Amino acid sequence: MFTKHYKKELSAYAHGELTAEETEHVAAHVRACAACRAEFEEIRLGVRLAECLPEAAAPESLWEGIEASLTKDSAHAQQRHSQIQTHGQTQLEATRSQLSTRSQQSKRFRRARTILFPGAASIFSSNRRAFAAACVVACAVAVAVGAWLYVRATRPSWEVARIEGTPRIASDRIGERGRLGVGEWLETDDASRAEISVANIGAVEVEPNTRVRLIETRLTEHRLELARGTLHARIWAPPRLFFVNTPSAVAADLGCAYTLEVDDAGRSLLHVTAGYVALDAGERESIVPAGAACLTKPGTGPGTPFFEDASEEFVGALARLDFDGDRASLERVLKGARARDTLTLWHLLSRVGADERARVYERLAALAPPPEGVTREGIVRLDRAMLDAWKDQLEDRWIDGGIPAVRKMWRKLWN
Amino acid sequence: MESGVLMSEGGACESVIEACKTGDREAFRKLFEKYKDRVFSVALYFFGGDEATASDVTQQVFLKLFTRIAQFNGEAEFTTWLYRLTTNACVDEHRKRRRFLQFGDETQVLEPRVRSSNEDTLARAEVAGAVKRAVSALKPKLRVVMLLKYFEEMSYEEIGAVLNLSKGTVASRLNRGHKILARKLGHLRAELVRAEQES
Repeated sequence: MFTKHYKKELSAYAHGELTAEETEHVAAHVRACAACRAEFEEIRLGVRLAECLPEAAAPESLWEGIEASLTKDSAHAQQRHSQIQTHGQTQLEATRSQLSTRSQQSKRFRRARTILFPGAASIFSSNRRAFAAACVVACAVAVAVGAWLYVRATRPSWEVARIEGTPRIASDRIGERGRLGVGEWLETDDASRAEISVANIGAVEVEPNTRVRLIETRLTEHRLELARGTLHARIWAPPRLFFVNTPSAVAADLGCAYTLEVDDAGRSLLHVTAGYVALDAGERESIVPAGAACLTKPGTGPGTPFFEDASEEFVGALARLDFDGDRASLERVLKGARARDTLTLWHLLSRVGADERARVYERLAALAPPPEGVTREGIVRLDRAMLDAWKDQLEDRWIDGGIPAVRKMWRKLWN
Repeated sequence: MESGVLMSEGGACESVIEACKTGDREAFRKLFEKYKDRVFSVALYFFGGDEATASDVTQQVFLKLFTRIAQFNGEAEFTTWLYRLTTNACVDEHRKRRRFLQFGDETQVLEPRVRSSNEDTLARAEVAGAVKRAVSALKPKLRVVMLLKYFEEMSYEEIGAVLNLSKGTVASRLNRGHKILARKLGHLRAELVRAEQES
């Protein structure tokens, strides 16, 4: 069985230079192929480094040299044309004579105007001043409006399509389509919905009663802020290119589809339908795979992720442990954990105290024995390499539900 | 002369170019001020940080630009035309100098002096310094595509138009450039994250 690797296309992929179809193929391949994923991480690091390349300032004296050369050239040119200028002298004299006649006519007209309308000169004069002032003001306004329109037109923005109702961008209603510029808010009322095209990497559907803002859009980062409401994101970009800030955590796309809700208190609920999402707040991170969900709360950050088919008792105990500090709930979580809930237990390892960590280790090891080289002592002292090694082994269980047998076999063959 | 109009960020305003065609010195100056740093930066990195050569090349580019601007008919983007002049001038100068250089001399890399501001933080300065050394040490053909991409934010197609290369070749050279940077500077990952957070 052979497959096409995309190593040569990875820079173009990172720069958004591929067509939507190519982007989708590469994104799917990078998610599944460990070798291309590693290569892509390397390319992305290269892109991020190159973006730090500082521009140099040209020396101030450069223009003097250029101007000196230009003056020399123009002196030669003047010499060459001096003859032509001499021939043109006669014509110039004739023109001057015509201008002089016109000037005399103009003087005569001004004198006649003063005699016929004695006050008119000062009126005309003050009107001229007023007119000149008005012209200056009009020009200033035109320049300011032009500059504003220019800045607005060149500011990075995303296309927004109305799905229903009257979505608003920066308080203005949009028609069938609008543009969401960096820094602008898109708001929907209880009867409105809209879809945002996220650069060329995906789409975000905005549900009613939602307030969302575009914070950043550039090659290596696209970022929204969800202040309240609900959005559904479908992203086919490389991992960690698309982010959504919420009041209590940042959702980083790892190649996925998900729904994110934020309530008026700033709490959020993430529900992942494909791929993975990372929820970050400070040093706390929750990795949420397809089929799982995670709650977040201001001041605490992301809670512990759980699979949506877990029992209500399990999810309730987990919420009390995460957000109320109820340590007695740990026992209920450990008791209620199924083989698939290793997702929750693995996250708990780094969130509980050392004594409790040993209990979590025992339960997790009973459900999924750790790989070779991962020891109880190492996990209790939070050895990063051991935690990661165990997570790598567990990940297959977390995503197995969503991966058909053929794809699993394909992953084994090529990873 | 109509040279006092606003120049757009992406390209030179048509009226400024038209004014240059009539020999308006003030318009020349505007065009020079707008592009001098970017042309100088491309030349500086192309010649591995050699400021004197970069200054010479920048002067040549602008003199050529001003003497030939009447030939610019607007079919291509002005920036494509300007950077074609720049890269051609760099390549010509490189060829001239190679004739007089001993083997090995041309691989010497000086550190380009770049503008710094009080806003530059330690992490940013450290990463920027390492990146400019690494870019200066790239092969010229890789370096020039990186410079056009990151100073000019040109698309692959535009870079191809400047350098007479296919889009695929541009992609492949950028791929190689990115990999070399990542391999040389992979140890700066933490500083890079800090620098990105600071910016």
